[in-house]
Amino acid sequence: MIGRYFNLTIATAAVLAAVSLPPVSAAGQTQTADGKNWNPPRTSDGQPDIQGFWANQGRRLSTYNVEEAAEPTHVLLSGVQTDSASLIVDPADGKIPYQPWARAKRTETFENHTNLTKWEYVDPHTRCFLSGVPRAFYQGTFQIVQPPHYIVILQEFNHGSRIIALDGRPHIGDNIKLWMGDSRGHWEGNTLVVDVTNNNDKTWFDLVGDFHSDALHISERYTFVNPDTIAYEATFDDPKVYTRPFKMALTFGRNVRSEEAKSYELFEEACLEGERNTTDMLRLLDSNPK
Amino acid sequence: MGLRFIRSMMLVGVVVSLTPVTVAGQARAADPPAYSPPRTPDGKPDLQGIWQVLNTAAWDIQDHPARLGVPAGQGVVEGNDIPYQPWAAAKKKENFENRVKADPVEKCYLPGVPRIVYMPYPFQIFQTANATVILYEYVHAVRMIYTDRPHLPGHIDSWMGQSRGRWEGDTLVVDVADFNDQTWFDGAGNFHSDALHVVERYTRKGPDHIAYEATIEDPKVFTRSWKMNMTLYRRQEKNAQILDYECHALEEEAAGRLK
Repeated sequence: MIGRYFNLTIATAAVLAAVSLPPVSAAGQTQTADGKNWNPPRTSDGQPDIQGFWANQGRRLSTYNVEEAAEPTHVLLSGVQTDSASLIVDPADGKIPYQPWARAKRTETFENHTNLTKWEYVDPHTRCFLSGVPRAFYQGTFQIVQPPHYIVILQEFNHGSRIIALDGRPHIGDNIKLWMGDSRGHWEGNTLVVDVTNNNDKTWFDLVGDFHSDALHISERYTFVNPDTIAYEATFDDPKVYTRPFKMALTFGRNVRSEEAKSYELFEEACLEGERNTTDMLRLLDSNPK
Repeated sequence: MGLRFIRSMMLVGVVVSLTPVTVAGQARAADPPAYSPPRTPDGKPDLQGIWQVLNTAAWDIQDHPARLGVPAGQGVVEGNDIPYQPWAAAKKKENFENRVKADPVEKCYLPGVPRIVYMPYPFQIFQTANATVILYEYVHAVRMIYTDRPHLPGHIDSWMGQSRGRWEGDTLVVDVADFNDQTWFDGAGNFHSDALHVVERYTRKGPDHIAYEATIEDPKVFTRSWKMNMTLYRRQEKNAQILDYECHALEEEAAGRLK
């Protein structure tokens, strides 16, 4: 397994090096960054057809820590090479604009995330809880399905899903909180705009405790640049935790293409059912508080 | 079925001899014309929407009186008897006695097929050109039912099985295989092995009803195949949508290990 990851690291690095050599390709990307140059096929209800299998494939690949994408150990273990950039593009320093108490809480979690003396330090993913938005997008493959008037996003990890209603219906009541939020979307040309509310306060953005409250409001923009690329940008507003809204940017690419996609499928990833030690570990922490 | 048919014929005979006027009405009641469902853009019956059962099968698929916390219910098993092999009948009895702790659903595990269909929670059916997708509120179970490909070769253990669909007239027929032996059909200990094979049939019976049938086959546990039948009801609320029932998280929260 280590060998396989290591090989992948080399391969990925080689690909990135190749991409970074000719500046021409970078210009090519910006030309179509608004998605205007792509005339997509349409679904039966007129949506740009963006169905298929996708994964986070941009330069900001490593999502161990959204503020510092390339934590060296994680790069080694995951075989994912990056340019160390933060996923956060605004503010410019790449840091989440936490209120002081919130930064202190995040620092405490970060310092203890490999020294699990309290359940509060354990990554919700490790406990087989749902990813939340946007973490669902950088935890392996996801599939987009487009039935009429909906976008359905299926995650392989922990069989998570999002149902994005495109029919203009209002959000559900404030008191109902959901692990994957309540999504309402509409198309603006080749850009899918999604408003996500009703998030609970139990999901993290990464492994090291970057967090939000149940006041989190996310505005997502998915720009379909070409048949194989989605430029994703999300604005996070949470007045209980941050001093101002911040923005995260990711690039999704098709990870299964054309003919192969016709026979590809997500498999069942029964996280809780296969889990054999985390719950016991947490019970142990309960009975032996440090 | 035969007996019911004969009875209705006798009734028709009596009515006809008394008042010939009602003959037309009687014919309508005995054999209503098949419902013609709305179609998807590719011409298939449209099964989309939010559906839910109104029965007690999740607790016990057979006839049962009320028990504490369990509503009484008439079974959904055709003929009510489940044709267990002798050893399996004994195992079912043992499961029933230990059900409070032994039911896999008590551990918040995926309930398998068909139990996920009759858990008392809504689910939403979506259709595309090559698949029917069902998202269930209960433990965010997902079924991707491709209608354009055969099963994968080999046996791949899974909790929800692998589903493949096809259309027989206006009925969606779903062939489900590749199960593990860890799920139960209900909270009363009815069980199966990893040789379980389920064939489901979804047929629209009206604007708000789907007739659901599941044929259960498992040569390691039963002496023959058997069937369940029930109705799926469309949720009528304008704002109906799938919410969360995250069993495991709720359990951790109750134990004080999640805020």
